Amino acid sequence: MGLPLDSVRGYSPNRDGGQMSYFREIDVGSTFRPFTAFCEQFGFVPSLFRAQTLLSRVIEAEAALISPILFTDQALSRPQKECILLVLAAANDNAYCLNLHYQTLKLLGATEQRLDRIVVDYQRANLAPTTTAVLKLTLKLGTSQHSFSRQDLLEASSQGLADECILEAVLTAALSRLLCVLSTGVGAVSDFVPRGVPPPVHTLSLCSYFFPAAGENLGLYLHAPELNPDNFAPFAFLRDQFGSVPNVFRAQTLRPIFLEAEAFAIRSVLVPEDGLTRAQKERILLGGSHGKLAESDRALLGVAEKLATDAAEFSGSDIQALRQNGFNEEQILETVATTSLACFFNLLQVGLGAEPEFPAPWTGEQRTSAKKAHLSSSGQRLTFVAQAVDPDAECVARVLAGDLESFEELMNRHSQRVYRTLVGILGNPDEARDAMQDTFLKAFQHLAGFEGRARFSTWLVSITTNTAIQRLRERRQMESLDETFDEQFRPREVQAWTDDPERLYSRAEMRSLIENGVMRLPAKYRVVLILLDLEQLPLEEAAAALGLGIPAIKARRLRGRLMLREALAPHFIQPERKGTKGVTI
Amino acid sequence: MINCADFVAELDNYLDGDVAAAVRVQLEHHIAHCKTCTVLVDSTRKTLKILTENGLFDLPREAFEPIAEEIMARVRTKEK
Repeated sequence: MGLPLDSVRGYSPNRDGGQMSYFREIDVGSTFRPFTAFCEQFGFVPSLFRAQTLLSRVIEAEAALISPILFTDQALSRPQKECILLVLAAANDNAYCLNLHYQTLKLLGATEQRLDRIVVDYQRANLAPTTTAVLKLTLKLGTSQHSFSRQDLLEASSQGLADECILEAVLTAALSRLLCVLSTGVGAVSDFVPRGVPPPVHTLSLCSYFFPAAGENLGLYLHAPELNPDNFAPFAFLRDQFGSVPNVFRAQTLRPIFLEAEAFAIRSVLVPEDGLTRAQKERILLGGSHGKLAESDRALLGVAEKLATDAAEFSGSDIQALRQNGFNEEQILETVATTSLACFFNLLQVGLGAEPEFPAPWTGEQRTSAKKAHLSSSGQRLTFVAQAVDPDAECVARVLAGDLESFEELMNRHSQRVYRTLVGILGNPDEARDAMQDTFLKAFQHLAGFEGRARFSTWLVSITTNTAIQRLRERRQMESLDETFDEQFRPREVQAWTDDPERLYSRAEMRSLIENGVMRLPAKYRVVLILLDLEQLPLEEAAAALGLGIPAIKARRLRGRLMLREALAPHFIQPERKGTKGVTI
Repeated sequence: MINCADFVAELDNYLDGDVAAAVRVQLEHHIAHCKTCTVLVDSTRKTLKILTENGLFDLPREAFEPIAEEIMARVRTKEK
């Protein structure tokens, strides 16, 4: 929904106040598409974006995100989304964004009295129940992400919010985070004469929030149909960039339009290297060790962290410090833009229950003492707070430092898992041995691109899976791993098994019996059983390696187990029952 | 009250101990009265036991060594 331009005439955006943002503006021409879109939607180009004209591609990235999330009426209307942005800006004490969204809502027809009531206490502002529920959800997510849990979404659902509605609300909260970080980072000057608004009261109750129990938040919160990277270009791009499609994107498949925008934003910010290097941006976006970094890169990360966690203390002197460390204006601006993008994906992860793959280093702790005071050591969110130590990290580092023999150690550690995964997909032990060479050579070739976002073992299983699928394609004997769950499988041989099946056969006979049973399973079930039950890979890691969502991989595991049970049953049912008719359920 | 189809849908989660307490009570109430599902739980549990405890698809050390040597030879060549 665009704003009627006539209604803007009475406003005097504060362009002539003499104040400057931290970055100089340059002329990008009157046809620069993001600016024409902002003019149509806000009635003017907010200074937040004019302050970034030195690097127009980051403005394009931001406009690509803002357009579907904010400007398009979908499950939530533009005014509802502006309300979310308003309330979150107030709760996070961001005067620039508060003014921007306050004035936008005024132009959309809201009175100052009503807006003041929403900012101060939305629950007493006589809003529609849906809007109140959306604000409650996003306020919790945007101000207290450590205690945000599946329970918050269940509560929102119980108040009538559909999954599409919740997804848009979470995206809008993430957009608020992006805009707040950006406006702080570029030192955006208010577009309007700042207006005093009473402080909100609803944030006072945050200390009473409980932390979710360990394990409570595992798995995606919303329905997320599977999308195949081979048929969906944004996923193919993300897979190319990150090795597999990160969970935060697979959690949004309800609305592919957002995924297209996010992939575009990542392409525009992360891929070009005319400002910061790819490695510098990945460290901001994805986290990682600071141990061996140059002093200037540590300074860069330090500023990014401060911007993300301590907006109240961030100032022009932080920008100046980067200049003194040798960074040029474009590089500093890109640091701000990348940090805001990291914060966007970070909040999305929390809101959607995606396993953390954008664990920017600052997200585990809030610096403000008021929030830190209620961070219980035992109750912290699993996500972001503590990344599991990768047992292969040191070995990988040695290989990257030139110690090739350490690669042999990595192979020895993972040869069984790689072999079993290949057997699981290819269904042929001889071919699996042959494919091991391809797999490990690919892993070696791409090791420099392994940044430790996932465990090395998960990354290696992804490479193994892709290698095997490629082989299946080459021999045109594609037994699809991507088919959807077909007809309901119903167990038929439901007769009691003997108490100790393993006493009936020798170990070699038993192994042969089960291996044959596993090999006869369709590939899509076989590989899941091998990764989950034989290799004991965590559910999330196996799902990521296979490009499946959690519900899909669980459905395949259940079916694979039941089919294997069925195949083995004739060998293990109690002797006196053999020959009797099975029970069908 | 849950029926057998409901029970089968939750079987995996039940075997992996991944069900909420309230659901577990319902599932256990069901198998206490359903012989078929009792057999299904027992036989699936045994399937998982023999699946995981028999060293399936092991690649013997002596089979992997020549593969590893070949890979390392190519790795060293690539690095030169």
